[in-house]
Amino acid sequence: MTYTSEGIQLHSSPESTSKQWLLYRPGGDMQWCFSQVKGAIDDDVAEADIISTVEFNHTGELLATGDKGGRVVIFQQEIENKNHPQFRSEYNVYSTFQSHEPEFDYLKSLEIEEKINKIRWLPQKNAAQFLLSTNDKTIKLWKISERDKRPEGYNLKEEDGRYKDPNTITSLRVPVLIPMDLMVEASPRRVFANAHTYHINSISVNSDNETYLSADDLRINLWHLEITDRSFNIVDIKPANMEELTEVITAAEFHPHQCNTFVYSSSKGTIRLCDMRVSALCDKHSKLFEEPEDPSNRSFFSEIISSISDVKFSHNGRYMMTRDYLSMKIWDLNMENRPVETYQVHEYLRSKLCSLYENDCIFDKFECCWNGNDSVVMTGSYNNFFRIFDRGHRRDVTLEASRENSKPMQVLKPRKVCAGGKRKKDEISVDSLDFNKKILHTAWHPQDNIITVATTNNLYIFQDKVN
Amino acid sequence: MKLSKGTSMLGRGVKRKWSCLEELEAEVVPAAVAEEKEQNGEEDRVEQGGLLVGPPKSDMSHRQQRQLVLGLCLEKLQRYQVGMELSLRRSVLLINTLRQIQEDMRRDRAITCTTDILLSGVQPDSCLLRDDFREDMSITCPGCTEGDVSKSPPLSPEIPSQEASGLPDQQKSPPAVTNNAFSDAVNAMGYLSDLALDDIFEDIDTSMYETSDLPSAWVSGPVWPVSVSLWEDEDVKMRTPSHGSPGSLQSCLMDLNELDHIMEILVKS
Repeated sequence: MTYTSEGIQLHSSPESTSKQWLLYRPGGDMQWCFSQVKGAIDDDVAEADIISTVEFNHTGELLATGDKGGRVVIFQQEIENKNHPQFRSEYNVYSTFQSHEPEFDYLKSLEIEEKINKIRWLPQKNAAQFLLSTNDKTIKLWKISERDKRPEGYNLKEEDGRYKDPNTITSLRVPVLIPMDLMVEASPRRVFANAHTYHINSISVNSDNETYLSADDLRINLWHLEITDRSFNIVDIKPANMEELTEVITAAEFHPHQCNTFVYSSSKGTIRLCDMRVSALCDKHSKLFEEPEDPSNRSFFSEIISSISDVKFSHNGRYMMTRDYLSMKIWDLNMENRPVETYQVHEYLRSKLCSLYENDCIFDKFECCWNGNDSVVMTGSYNNFFRIFDRGHRRDVTLEASRENSKPMQVLKPRKVCAGGKRKKDEISVDSLDFNKKILHTAWHPQDNIITVATTNNLYIFQDKVN
Repeated sequence: MKLSKGTSMLGRGVKRKWSCLEELEAEVVPAAVAEEKEQNGEEDRVEQGGLLVGPPKSDMSHRQQRQLVLGLCLEKLQRYQVGMELSLRRSVLLINTLRQIQEDMRRDRAITCTTDILLSGVQPDSCLLRDDFREDMSITCPGCTEGDVSKSPPLSPEIPSQEASGLPDQQKSPPAVTNNAFSDAVNAMGYLSDLALDDIFEDIDTSMYETSDLPSAWVSGPVWPVSVSLWEDEDVKMRTPSHGSPGSLQSCLMDLNELDHIMEILVKS
């Protein structure tokens, strides 16, 4: 698949010479179909099964999820069936392992949750795959490797593994490798611990593939992937007097190409871009991105809803996207005073902020993501709705992840929320939205139009409609 | 495990008669009834699997909403899961909201106070609306100035726990409490639970306090009986309109001693 600069996806198959339009129908609307759903069907959700992070690897072949129980489940895309391009390959379980266990901090008499906050894949260098997974306090580097052969034919050992008496061995026999069922092993290769006083909210692998950053509420540390017993502190916003604390770090990410550049967002709606070449401690930002507040929208909840829950660089490295409670903003890295694009995710919630504050939903942290060529962005909402915004065509759509719309290849019908006034047929009113059903985590395949959204304990995979 | 977010509303009497903002009483009381209905409705709403139903909150006046948010803020700051660490982001956002409300109230009172003064000279109750709210004690000790904080630590309040007092809920008064509570809330929140990288001993102290019902700042002083006495104080203060007099500091201290005495008796019995 290739992408033109206008973001239109074309597909040329070996069988035909003409190019087929896969992404845009006449009229230009995107259409999405249900592909798969993973997870239990039960309505009664076990807390440990709550999905807490979702991440594709760099090729999109692997899809990792982390849950509240500290487990990581990796799905692998089956080899595409070239004869039937309309059947996009399916994702099946590839590996499952327990990444983090609950711990107890004896000094503070507090439990450390095993919930996986973030997973980030390392670019593949050899046959094995590597990923970083983190909970509130500890980051681990996992190696996922395949084993499909085993040695057989030892004559030095008995069946049960005991060594034979050397006097009984009369010939030399070299074991041979014979095929076996594929076994996928996950082993922890590094444990990066004890570097964070506060809760880790982000990890980001540097483009140099040697270092990565981890960010908690007040500090950001730089690690070398090979070194676990020390890290460099590159940002520290902890005030001398904690009573003066008014702002925390909410997310951080390395620039996709410039290994010296990273950004971090705050609970006050600001993003700071830092250059590590300037000084060892990047407390002084190189750029500060902040949009002046709209005075007409000011309320007691203004600060809370301005808190940025996610920041993601575009793949081309020219833009970054931030998600706050009600909107998504796209920033040009060269313009600090305002975003270049703002997308309202669920503006109808603005009049409900008090209720959302009451039931704590106002503190929910939604993530956002770019598609492979940065032309479309996506984020989640409530009632198991998720939103897709087409930047180029200025079109957006609201879709729902539900078991009712889960027939194979069923096209998802756009949903509409009625903010007030007379509710049209097929619209859902704001007051009927289920705020317990939230989609916080979404991911987009890096090269294809395959998206995945996580409801509380289910992972939905959708793909765009193929003719 | 059900995921519905249960809300336990702050006591019914939270924003009612014991508000220090006397001039708002007229507004607050009838509004309180409406609010209470709304709150009851709100509870029902939330219990229905997280749905929002009922009259929109936007119908509330600015002050009503401020009262509500204030109460919720204090309740959220108080509430935490035993054994789990507080989310710093959440605490910071809540405290900032509290600060904002405090600023808002301060501005309101400054305006009202000025208006009062302009309209009718200095009135006794206008002295309740002093700008200086460190100790807020408009309720308890309107004559006290900032410098008197050290002398009247017990007045800093709070959100006394029900068990401590044994007094009926409607004695709680967030608006009054807030100004006092604010600085204490700041101390109380997980900020002090900074880790072993900092002062280890301070840390251990904090963690002990965190698992108790009272935030550290409140435990540090003779707050227990005194916070209860605060309510008594309000009663006393409401009945004796001696605010605004230069001798109010004196009377405050005397009241305190009296109340301390009363509380000792109560606690012992």
